[in-house]
Amino acid sequence: MNDIFIDVDYAQIYKSGQKIGGDVFLLSRNPDNNQVVCTLSDGLGSGVKANVLASLTAHMAHKLSFSELDLTHSAKIIMNTLPVCKERKISYSTFTIADIRHPSLEDIHINLVEYDNPSALLFRGCSSLSWNREKIDLQRDGAFKKEELSRSYLKMEVGDRLIIFSDGVTQAGMGKSLPLGWRVEGVRQFAQQQIERNPSISSHDLSQAIVRKANTLDRLVSKDDITCMVVYARKPRRTLVVTGPPFTKEKDALLGEKISAFEGRKIVSGGTTALIVSRLFNKKLKVDMSCWSPDVPPCSTMDGIDLVTEGMLTLSKVALILEEKKQVRTLHDDAVKKFVEVMQDSDQVHFIVGTKINEAHQDPNIPVEIGIRRTIIGRLRKALEDNYLKETSQEYL
Amino acid sequence: MGKREKVLVKICVGTACFVQGGADLLLYNDFLDPVVLANCEIEGSSCLGMCKMSSTKARPPFVQIGTEVYGDMTQERFCKLLAEAVNA
Repeated sequence: MNDIFIDVDYAQIYKSGQKIGGDVFLLSRNPDNNQVVCTLSDGLGSGVKANVLASLTAHMAHKLSFSELDLTHSAKIIMNTLPVCKERKISYSTFTIADIRHPSLEDIHINLVEYDNPSALLFRGCSSLSWNREKIDLQRDGAFKKEELSRSYLKMEVGDRLIIFSDGVTQAGMGKSLPLGWRVEGVRQFAQQQIERNPSISSHDLSQAIVRKANTLDRLVSKDDITCMVVYARKPRRTLVVTGPPFTKEKDALLGEKISAFEGRKIVSGGTTALIVSRLFNKKLKVDMSCWSPDVPPCSTMDGIDLVTEGMLTLSKVALILEEKKQVRTLHDDAVKKFVEVMQDSDQVHFIVGTKINEAHQDPNIPVEIGIRRTIIGRLRKALEDNYLKETSQEYL
Repeated sequence: MGKREKVLVKICVGTACFVQGGADLLLYNDFLDPVVLANCEIEGSSCLGMCKMSSTKARPPFVQIGTEVYGDMTQERFCKLLAEAVNA
C-alpha cells in the first residue's frame, strides 16, 4: 500500500437562485502510475450556459492533461472549441489544472496550469509559500484580450496543501461587506487561521470552511458560483478489519501478532473472532447493550480495539450501505453506523479474513442474508474502491 | 428479606442466536417483570459457543442464567426461568 495519500475534495455553493453551477470540478485518480488530476473550470456567466462552457472546458482539460499533447496547444484547442456566448459574442471559460504525481514519499510534484482563475495557494504547515509562475502568451486568433497561461512546477512535501478556488471566492462580499471583495489575500489569511486552529484539517473541512465564509461575506446571497478545492498530501489513515477465526487454531497467535503490529484503527467483526482476540490480548470483552437495532446485534468494547461488532449481519449491512452510498446521518445509532463512519474516515482498509467454516451458520434455519464471508468482503472492497475511492487489500488466514 | 446477590444473566448476541430470536430477548426491559429485572444483572455475550456444539440438542438462541445455559429461548420461557431463578 501507498505511504502517501493525496486527499482531494471540493465544496461549492451556486450563485443565489441558480439550480445549476457554472463552476465545474473534476477529479481522476490513476493508481497505476500514482497520478491524480483535478480540474476546476469557471464558465462565462452563470446557470446552464456557464455550466455547458465549464463542463466542456473541464472535460477537455482533464482528458488533454492525460495525453502527451503540449499544454499550451491543449489550451488553444479548448479556447477554439468553446461555443460563443450570444450576448457577449465571446467564447470564454477559465480553468486550473493540477496534475499531481507521487511516485514516492520524497517525490511529490504538481504540474499546475492556470488560466484566468485566481492564483492558487500553497501551504506548508501554516505558512503560505510563493513561487514563480512561467507565463505563456497564447496568441489565439480572434482573441478579445491578451491571453496568458501560467505554468508552474511545484514540489510538494507531506503535509502540504494546495488550495484552488474560483473568482466567486475572491470576489465574495464585493460592494457589501468588503469594497473590493475578499481577494486572494483574504482567502490566504483565512486558510492560514483554519490550518493553525486544526493542523490536520481535512480537504473536505477546509474547502467547506472557505466556501461557507465566502458565502457569509456575500450575506448568504452569493453573487457568483463559489467553489473551492483543496489538495492535501498526507500520511494515509489506515484501518484494519479482522473477521472470522483463522482456519486452524495454531494461526490464532499469528493473528494476534498481525493485530498488534498494525498501525491505525482496528475493527474486529465476529463474535468468535472477538473471543479469540480477547483471549490473545487478555482483555475483557463487554457487550454494549445500548447500541443495537432489530437487524444489527449490539457492538462490544475491548481495550486496544476501536470497534468490536458481530460478524456477518453487520458486515452485509455495511456493504449494502456503502454500495447504496447512504448518508451516515440517516442511519440507526448502531454497530453498522459506527463501522461505516470508520470506513469513510479511512484512506486505506486492510482486511484479514479468517477462513474457518462456522458450523452454526450451516443450519438451514439461518436466513439467507448470512452468505459467505469472502463474498461479503469482496462486495465491501468493491464499494469502498468504486464509491469512495479508498484503497483496500486483504489476506486470508 | 435480606440482601441477595443478583442473578447473572448472559444473552448471546452472536449471529446464529440473534437471527433466531435473540433480538427479541434484548427487549427485556419491555417484557420482564420490573421486580425480577431489578434482581438480575443482564449482559450480552458476543458468543456463548453453544451453537457449535454437536453434543447439545438445544438450538439458538442461548441464554446463560447463573451457571446454566438454556437453548430454544423465547420471551415467555425467559420470563419464567428468570422468575424461578430470582425466587430460588
